[in-house]
Amino acid sequence: MEKQDIIKSFKDSLFTGLIALALFGPIVGLRTVSKGEGLFITPQWGIVFLLVGLCILGRFLININSAKRTEFKFLSSFSSKFAHITEDKAKHFAITGILFAVVFPFLPFTDRYFMDVAIMILTYIMLGWGLNIVVGLAGLLDLGYVAFYAVGAYSYALIATTFGWSFWICLPLAGVFAAFFGILLGFPVLRLRGDYLAIVTLGFGEIIRIILINWYEVTNGPDGITGIPRPSFFGLPFKRSPDEGEASFHTFFGLEYSTMHRIIFLYYLILVLALITNYFTLKIRKLPVGRAWEALREDEIACKSLGVNPTNTKLTAFAIGAMFGGFAGSFFATRQAFISPESFTFIESAIIVAIVVLGGMGSQTGVVLASIFLIGITEIFRDLEQFRMIAFGGAMVLIMVFKPKGILANRKPTILMHGDKK
Amino acid sequence: MSSLLSVENLTMKFGGLVAIDNLSFNAQNNQITSIIGPNGAGKTTVFNCLTGFYKPTTGQMYLHKDENKVSLRKYTDFKIAHVAKVARTFQNIRLFPAMSVLENLLVAQHNELMVASGYSLYGLLNLKSYREKEKQAVDKSKYWLDIIGLTHRADDNAGDLPYGDQRKLEIVRAMCIEPKLLCLDEPAAGLNPKESAELNELLKFIKNEKKTGILLIEHDMSVVMGISDHVVVLNYGKKIFEGTADQTKNSKEVIEAYLGVDE
Repeated sequence: MEKQDIIKSFKDSLFTGLIALALFGPIVGLRTVSKGEGLFITPQWGIVFLLVGLCILGRFLININSAKRTEFKFLSSFSSKFAHITEDKAKHFAITGILFAVVFPFLPFTDRYFMDVAIMILTYIMLGWGLNIVVGLAGLLDLGYVAFYAVGAYSYALIATTFGWSFWICLPLAGVFAAFFGILLGFPVLRLRGDYLAIVTLGFGEIIRIILINWYEVTNGPDGITGIPRPSFFGLPFKRSPDEGEASFHTFFGLEYSTMHRIIFLYYLILVLALITNYFTLKIRKLPVGRAWEALREDEIACKSLGVNPTNTKLTAFAIGAMFGGFAGSFFATRQAFISPESFTFIESAIIVAIVVLGGMGSQTGVVLASIFLIGITEIFRDLEQFRMIAFGGAMVLIMVFKPKGILANRKPTILMHGDKK
Repeated sequence: MSSLLSVENLTMKFGGLVAIDNLSFNAQNNQITSIIGPNGAGKTTVFNCLTGFYKPTTGQMYLHKDENKVSLRKYTDFKIAHVAKVARTFQNIRLFPAMSVLENLLVAQHNELMVASGYSLYGLLNLKSYREKEKQAVDKSKYWLDIIGLTHRADDNAGDLPYGDQRKLEIVRAMCIEPKLLCLDEPAAGLNPKESAELNELLKFIKNEKKTGILLIEHDMSVVMGISDHVVVLNYGKKIFEGTADQTKNSKEVIEAYLGVDE
């Protein structure tokens, strides 16, 4: 490397240090402390110089690296390799993933905490797959997806607590209710596209939440619904001491009682629900309606000129996407045994949309990777408490920098004329 | 010869602007009818009225389908293509760029396939009747791709095709809905002379073999004069001339409209 380059990058990093000083000086350097009768300023110049020094050093290293043109080489080669693997061996990857998911509860290091995180990730994967139909395939940016999640959860909770019906009857009902709400949202937004659609769906999500808060007689308002029945293993409840004359899961199978039984059952339940969502999406994508969704995403006017009914096509996308959101919602309700409107805020919608977009619009495997990455990173940094959302944001930025079209952006045609030659 | 399309006293106003002024013309079966005129003459507006994108202020448009007279005014939006069987292409190509060539052609057969798939139910169950229908749809797509010589690229994204091929693909995609009337909005725009000549062959094939009436908006006179059976000339929304290609070439009104009047 030339001597000039080094001097130039050194100057540049000193300039960076100047900016860092201007920023960190007041923000970090001057700390206000309340001592009895008022606020006093305690300077912390040591930390400021440390931070500024780090900025100068970091900038200098980046400059030298970019001069050598090796900037982030390891990262981009890693990501391209990664895409290569999943592209070529998508099937192997999927099978390995499913096998891993199946044996996961019995791995030696798996404890209660891991199981909870895994269930959470699977819930997001299922929601991501459901939203993928609306956003990824039909191209309708829905920022209020959590509304259907809420409708599913509340339908399940209300039906189960009022009528005492079992989970397996309530689940499809919750799906039907959510689909109905999907159509209800669909009608007014049929003519909207892009940003306008996003705003209206966002509003819809908030409307549902506010109704849940204020409709006290039915939803019990902000207090939420408690005592939602837990799912049973084909009629066998997961109880330590079953009622007189009844068997519970551990007595029936002659096992030692453990709270893990129910967790493992819930894990498999959401795994199966998610896989059903995935299977359904993969199938329907190859049907005429799936192709019409994608065509609608590409060009609505061209669709009309070919006789594709945009109204029906959009409504089916909304309804089916909402239905899976509803299923996930009932699972959420039965897992928590308690739901309140607080669980269905806008941030949930935002996370689900982020998963779909970062995964690569329309890519099923991408949703899995994005969920694991985003939820996993926020979990790893759980100790940072409220600052872990910075990790979440950082993860999103990382994906957008290295994979601007999402982790897996390649789309495979739904039908091939010449077969799979590659 | 029976006329396929008759436009009667069509007027389209946008506020105070009269885009089409009392226009009447006929288009025959198995003929290519060209609509020409300077920029802003209202050609595309005629198309948008015919294909249901605009609702004309006054006037009627009839399509004669096996002795039946169908008023196009009654159909809007997607029903023009679905029920009335009037297909169109666009001035700026509107393919589905991220979908494969074959998928583009299958979307054009959406309504038949939708019925065959039992509105997705049979399709999800993977019934034989649906699989057969889908195979037929693929065969039909292959038939058209063979004609435009794009079969080897059937699995590539439509957006990756060269411009000229995209134009041709858009035309055969419209043909996949088996239209009675095919409306082409400047199909030769941006094509080189060789591609233009290929386009002429394709249009002649559609006219002669498929018994489809073609309505053509075009600026490329080599295309218009080469293949038109009938020419309608518009200027400022009014029809100023109607006749064969040769008559049009020698018409005083047409030359004036394009080149201006001698002082």
